[in-house]
Amino acid sequence: MASEDEVSLLVIVVDVNPIWWGQQANREPQFTLSKCLDAVMVMGNSHLVMTRTNKLAIIASHCQESHFLYPCKLWKSGDGHGDENASTSGDGKYELLSVANDFIAEEIKNLMSRSKSEVKGNQTDTLLAGSLAKALCCILSTKMLTGQEMKSRILVVKAAEDCALQYMNFMNVIFAAQKQSILIDACVLDSDSGLLQQACDITGGLYLKIPQKIALAQYLLWVFLPDSDQRSQLVLPPPVHVDYRAACFCHRNLIEIGYVCSVCLSIFCNFSPICTTCETAFKIPLPQVVKSKKKKLKPST
Amino acid sequence: MDEEPERAKRWEGGYERTWEILKEDESGSLKATVEEILFQAKRKRVFESHGQVRLGMMRHLYVVIDTSRTMEDQDLKPNRLTSTLKLVEYFVEEYFDQNPISQVGIITTKNKRAEKLTDLAGNPKKHIDALKKAKDSTCGGEPSLYNSLSLAMQTLKHMPGHSSREVLIIFSSLTTCDPANIYELVKTLKALKIRVSVIGLSAEVRVCTVLTRETGGSYHVILDESHFRELLMFHVKPPPATSSSECSLIRMGFPQHTIASISDQDAKPSFSQAHLDSTSGGPGLSMGGYFCPQCQAKYTELPVECKVCGLTLVSAPHLARSFHHLFPLEAFQESPLLLHHTERFCEACQGELKDKSVFTCPSCNSVFCVECDLFIHDTLHCCPSCIHSRSAP
Repeated sequence: MASEDEVSLLVIVVDVNPIWWGQQANREPQFTLSKCLDAVMVMGNSHLVMTRTNKLAIIASHCQESHFLYPCKLWKSGDGHGDENASTSGDGKYELLSVANDFIAEEIKNLMSRSKSEVKGNQTDTLLAGSLAKALCCILSTKMLTGQEMKSRILVVKAAEDCALQYMNFMNVIFAAQKQSILIDACVLDSDSGLLQQACDITGGLYLKIPQKIALAQYLLWVFLPDSDQRSQLVLPPPVHVDYRAACFCHRNLIEIGYVCSVCLSIFCNFSPICTTCETAFKIPLPQVVKSKKKKLKPST
Repeated sequence: MDEEPERAKRWEGGYERTWEILKEDESGSLKATVEEILFQAKRKRVFESHGQVRLGMMRHLYVVIDTSRTMEDQDLKPNRLTSTLKLVEYFVEEYFDQNPISQVGIITTKNKRAEKLTDLAGNPKKHIDALKKAKDSTCGGEPSLYNSLSLAMQTLKHMPGHSSREVLIIFSSLTTCDPANIYELVKTLKALKIRVSVIGLSAEVRVCTVLTRETGGSYHVILDESHFRELLMFHVKPPPATSSSECSLIRMGFPQHTIASISDQDAKPSFSQAHLDSTSGGPGLSMGGYFCPQCQAKYTELPVECKVCGLTLVSAPHLARSFHHLFPLEAFQESPLLLHHTERFCEACQGELKDKSVFTCPSCNSVFCVECDLFIHDTLHCCPSCIHSRSAP
């Protein structure tokens, strides 16, 4: 059981890629972005209710920006335009939860309507690495503010596919999270994501690909709600087999044995005399030339 | 030495004379000075980027620790040896964090001899265990620079040409006892391209100055424990490669991690090659592990050099850890808060900007607070706003 003063911060990063969700609305009309956010709100509320000192943050990861759905900037600075609306909640729910839910709903509507006209054809990938970086900075600043022992974790709800361009930034974020002992859990809706599998393996979190999207709330509450201390006591989905093979820079194939340039650490599948990334000429090991010994001529008798 | 009878306890000695740096302002309050000190401490790490210089990424480093009589001196608390060993433990951890494909070995020298505490290896656990055990050892006699350097040289000269060969000596004594002419040894070291750096604990010694100057290393003498720590951390970053180091393609293997459980049909428990020689008595048999792609020998941890076929085994994240050295992040520009009226929140953490100066990224002009800036440069190595612009690294 966590001690009374321990603060636990959960950051939920939700993938709201409009293109994927738009296609999803055509494929399965019963599971749309609003249903997904309902499930996320249930998860967030449950986390806040578990212990009085728990904290929550929700980030929406769009293809053009990452936006904090909760907590809201205006709220923090005390401008308080939401104060009038938040005085009573109609159904007797704990006020913190109803205020949080209203804010999240408001912010996501603003986000989606704001960017409706600006999505261009080539920018279809979710900016997940950027959202994770912002989540890490948010965790760090909360840690500085409270000054107490804090356990934090990040839960990623991923919808669209991976973007290979983000590999290096993603790895930087994963190593930073590992250094700060922050777990990254992943709940994947559609297609398996190699990057998230590596993230969960390296930081010690859980990776789960959901078989039925409609039951998202159940999976979130069952698998991802308990924190790391309690997870050892529960029977949770087994770890997946992570493919740590590197992809060669020339063909993007996964290789088991490869050649690594000692200058720039790029990986190649075949030996080549020049590195294509840093253009260094390599020293090719030549076969050793054996010097033939000169035979001494016997003096002819 | 007159103050000694006044001090009640030994450990209070570390706080002497700190009042001299605090100054009162007009109203008699120390708040401004204290904030200034804290602010400077946060910004103390100067990020000097080498620019477009080739770095020695695969490093073979020997750390030579002087365990002679002078290490029992108590000017570093509780004594020099314990303090040094603790800092070297921290150094080893940080070193493997920043250079995952490099290797470290530890040598100690006392009683005019040198002996290897640990061999060159890529696994930090072994070194940290050995350092913990060494805390109980006694110090005595004189150190020998010649013997420790020749011991290090014996192994380093067989290392491949593309790796950077380094020796870091933590030297506390003012004397050294050598069996032969050390200047000859310095010439040999220079010919073998071994870079020797020294951190002195007592005072500057001429032979160390010559040694480091000839081989291209650095020589510093510590002021106090925090300065010692800073000097050690300076050696964690990969140094610029010498012009004579060769560039080659290194053949490496990327084994798959098999997680087998007892219920699998084909799973058989097996021994790990790395544990065959170990006497630590850990669990020998394990179900899953990493299998070398060339000879199928099993290992439990990476990176490791396969004992059977000699192939270096790493995983892709290990190489990815070193990428931030190759693409370093530019330092952000510091500017006073008063110039920024429009932004009240830090882009990264959404917190209010309260410190007296803010930091701006030169490429995307986003504003960050002090803690985020430190975190971004120390740990994250990428600007959170720039990575939103989807440019490939």
